[in-house]
Amino acid sequence: MGNTPKIKRTIFHGTALLLSFIGLLLSACSKKLERTTIGISFEILQTEYWVASIEAMKDASQKNKADYLEAVANGDANRQFEQINNFISRGVDGIVIAPKDAHTVIPIIKAANRANIPIVIYNRLPAENKGSYTTVVADNYDITKKTVKYMCEMARKSGNKHKAMILIGDLGDINAVHRRNGFNDAIAEYPDTIELVAEIPTEWNQEKALAGVTNALQAHPDISFIFSSSDFLFPSIISALKNVDKYHPTGHQKHVILGGFDGDAMAYKMLVEGYLDADGVQDVYYECDASIQAIIDRLDGRAVKQTISDPGFVIHKDNLKEMAPKMWGANWAKQ
Amino acid sequence: MKWITNKTVQSLLHHSTFVLFAIVLTVFGLLSQSFFSFQNLINVLTQASSLGIIATGMTFVLLTAGIDLSVGSIMFLAGVISSKMVVAGFPLWMAFSVVLAVGILFGLMNGFLVVRAKIVPFIVTLATFYMGRGLGLFLSETRAINLPDSFLKIGSTQFFGIPFPIIAFVCVVVIGHLLLTKTVFGKQVYAVGHSTLKSKKAGIKVNGILLKAYLICGLCASIGGLVAISQLGAVSPTFGLQSEFMAIAAAVLGGTSLFGGKGTVFPGTLVGVLLVQCIQNGLVMVNADPYLYPLITGGVIFLVVLIDSLRHLQQQKLKRWGIHQK
Repeated sequence: MGNTPKIKRTIFHGTALLLSFIGLLLSACSKKLERTTIGISFEILQTEYWVASIEAMKDASQKNKADYLEAVANGDANRQFEQINNFISRGVDGIVIAPKDAHTVIPIIKAANRANIPIVIYNRLPAENKGSYTTVVADNYDITKKTVKYMCEMARKSGNKHKAMILIGDLGDINAVHRRNGFNDAIAEYPDTIELVAEIPTEWNQEKALAGVTNALQAHPDISFIFSSSDFLFPSIISALKNVDKYHPTGHQKHVILGGFDGDAMAYKMLVEGYLDADGVQDVYYECDASIQAIIDRLDGRAVKQTISDPGFVIHKDNLKEMAPKMWGANWAKQ
Repeated sequence: MKWITNKTVQSLLHHSTFVLFAIVLTVFGLLSQSFFSFQNLINVLTQASSLGIIATGMTFVLLTAGIDLSVGSIMFLAGVISSKMVVAGFPLWMAFSVVLAVGILFGLMNGFLVVRAKIVPFIVTLATFYMGRGLGLFLSETRAINLPDSFLKIGSTQFFGIPFPIIAFVCVVVIGHLLLTKTVFGKQVYAVGHSTLKSKKAGIKVNGILLKAYLICGLCASIGGLVAISQLGAVSPTFGLQSEFMAIAAAVLGGTSLFGGKGTVFPGTLVGVLLVQCIQNGLVMVNADPYLYPLITGGVIFLVVLIDSLRHLQQQKLKRWGIHQK
């Protein structure tokens, strides 16, 4: 019984604390956004590419004197939808979204259109829909095709027939599908040189990639041509190649012709050291600048194309010095 | 005649995993010449090692009728911490010790919340799943960490021609098996899984058993994480993602019941892990269409769980009739 006043006091203090917290939260939420504010939503920061992208997006916003709100959905499409609704409630002026996939972004486009907020879809093409939006996306098919053709030319010059392997990403990801198509169409032009013997579905997972490459090298020990649909799978390839003594730089008798896609820091180091032969690079800086610029242009009433394509480029040992400053991974490697 | 058929069906249901395992081995063996080679056997075992270690820990928790969704996050956190320490120049033994401590800590936290706060395991471990991954992402700044070659050498070190990951896997399975079958603790794990109430009446310290089960699971997750990164040589932000589901699937495939009280580490979980790994390996060996991978893996898991459910229903029916099956 003697504890009753103490309990009452604790309840009173607790309630007061809770109310002040709710008050603070409400005032923060209702604070009017004064400058142009852009909501940046990323599905996940899974790889260096996504981290570099969100950083470049923030820099581009600042260059345009815009504030930004950022949110990461950790791979959950529903959470991303909620985050976009929160952006809309907070009164953002524009939205840039790197969506989980081509379909789950459609209700998000509709929500932004209803709120009359310009929306830019970054890096992944949405499925066909009647909404109003701008997509900024790398030409995954073309960049891959050019990269693989460069590798095929190398293979042809060697005078030998090569057994090839491709590491495919998540087959629910349209970019992964385009890269696979680009690879297949490129090697189809070299039937006398390239024979595809292994397609490894990795679901963008390094452990699955390691197991897949190891198994493929077991089934076909003479594989000598490997393309990875993302640079972030290179550690798995390197580990598997080292285990069978096939990881050697260009010029070595056992060198495996190796190519990738993205242009990350590891790819840059491998190019410099001669282990990687070609890499398809997405121009992160161009894509992020274009995304923010599209929002600003829409807000200013200027016309914006529905799709802004990043042609990207292929980097290899012959143009390394010239193209490295444009490769985002090269800049990261120097940091 | 009908009696014989029933008995055959019962026997098939009881050994469904082994039957499926035999079918998978036969099919891939016929389709690919190198599937049955010694080197491929080593490959399968090496690739199964990390998942097998985690699934062994998971078996303990499942036997108590619990679940641990945080194992993938513990793996990831273990990977990030050890990578950061090794890259910063700390000796390997120190990094490994810290990682094991992290696994134990997470296991204790899960167990404590289940036992003391009486929160259902699914919710507790879902919370620690997010905490572990969030902490790992914070520490790694969501960047991939590439490890020095010394780390990779551990994964490729061989003792009498057997790679280190397989040795670690075998050790964990043997210890897990002995713990469950030859100790009082093991018998109490099964008892708690069968009925918490009856175990309490029998004088078993149920809370202590649950705590130990989650601790073992956390420890196994951290060891599994170390074994995986010693093969990969890198830790990416997706490392360990969905490993919890594969570990649960492997244990259930091996005959561990999601309702608790039934299952084994050896041969059960071991066969479950090998079944999953053989499917993945065999599909690459025969260069299957990439779209078939999830279909076939999912199909086999579905089939085994369906059979487990049928078996469970049949046992319930027999119980109602007063017939007890061993």
